[in-house]
Amino acid sequence: MSTTRLQEVLICFGKQKQTDISTANTSGQMWQLRKLNAALANPKLNTENDAEEFGKGHEFPTQSFQTSWDVNGTLEKYLGSEIGAWAMAYGLGKVVKSGTNPNFTYTCTPLIPASGDAAELPYFSFVEQIRPGAGVVVDRMAVGCVVEGWTIAIGSGPGRANSKITVEFVGSGKATEPSGITVPAATIEKLLPSASLALTINGVNYVSNKNIVSLETSWKNNVRLDSGFYPGSGFQTPGDATSGAIRGRLEFANRQGRLKFVARFENGSTELTKLKNQSTGTAVLSLTYDANNSLDITWQKVSFAMAEVGETDGIVTVSVECLPMYDSTNGIVSAVAKCNVDNICQ
Amino acid sequence: MTKDRVYMKPPFGLGEPKEVDATPEVLVPLMLAGWSQCEPPRLFQETTGEEVTKNVHD
Repeated sequence: MSTTRLQEVLICFGKQKQTDISTANTSGQMWQLRKLNAALANPKLNTENDAEEFGKGHEFPTQSFQTSWDVNGTLEKYLGSEIGAWAMAYGLGKVVKSGTNPNFTYTCTPLIPASGDAAELPYFSFVEQIRPGAGVVVDRMAVGCVVEGWTIAIGSGPGRANSKITVEFVGSGKATEPSGITVPAATIEKLLPSASLALTINGVNYVSNKNIVSLETSWKNNVRLDSGFYPGSGFQTPGDATSGAIRGRLEFANRQGRLKFVARFENGSTELTKLKNQSTGTAVLSLTYDANNSLDITWQKVSFAMAEVGETDGIVTVSVECLPMYDSTNGIVSAVAKCNVDNICQ
Repeated sequence: MTKDRVYMKPPFGLGEPKEVDATPEVLVPLMLAGWSQCEPPRLFQETTGEEVTKNVHD
């Protein structure tokens, strides 16, 4: 009997955005990237039963009902220019594309509803396949997914694992099985390694002074999942009220940005002083593969919310939690992602 | 090297698109203020020699 091993799993997802939450990406709009984590994005069917209902003469369920569907998943990857651009565009939500092949530039910012932007994030479809076709094990597509958040972690050390990105996503619940998608050839990814980091936070260049040990930065949309189910939001099978409800919108709620880092602490280090003074400045981190592939993230105004002196491998270090704040001109965060892939989130 | 330029339309669809340098210093404040990317307007095609509306008196 044949065994199915998870190394066979193929994923592809919308490089281009869906036209709306319920219209799936086509094969030509998708790309295949590889991932590190084993978890699958299983569609979850929520059910209810009639145990609580009076009139049956007993307390036991006699019927079960399909009520709603959930989809969520996580992508863990070595950070490359392509997934960096994709995560910034879909995670922050607003994108301007410029440049030409091989240097496309995606300038990304969060959506600002007060300025007329939507509260709905761009949608994409997510496909998982294991042996599609006659010997299919898994072949399904989650339609209407949005990025719930991303985390970039940069560490010290020689390996690729010192530059990683984790992207969480959630879906409308709509799932298509079989997917009907022919997975495109894998995209050749350009790694943005830890050794390429440039980092200036609150006026200090932590790379030129050789003090940075690690950093982590993240964005979370806190997507309103329950309010996606509204009267009329629809069903898994259109027109079939017994097939379970799906979401008709996915909106962000109160979003959160985070930046924390660990640096060597020495005579003249300013982190504790800046914590006491609540000094503010920008935090700019850049990772580069070459002139056409890079990722720059700018937190427009940060102060230090916490700074604690400790140790890392016997060296005195300071662990700093930044407070990203909203700058009236430039907002809270922006990202400029360069890669030679066209049409990301277009 | 010439700077990349893009067209941006104003928030709420009010007003005319404008062409701007595609630099973060220019784009980020505009995006924050509700401007979003758009296709070049037809006027741009005329000024670059791509005639859109023929002059009926020719």
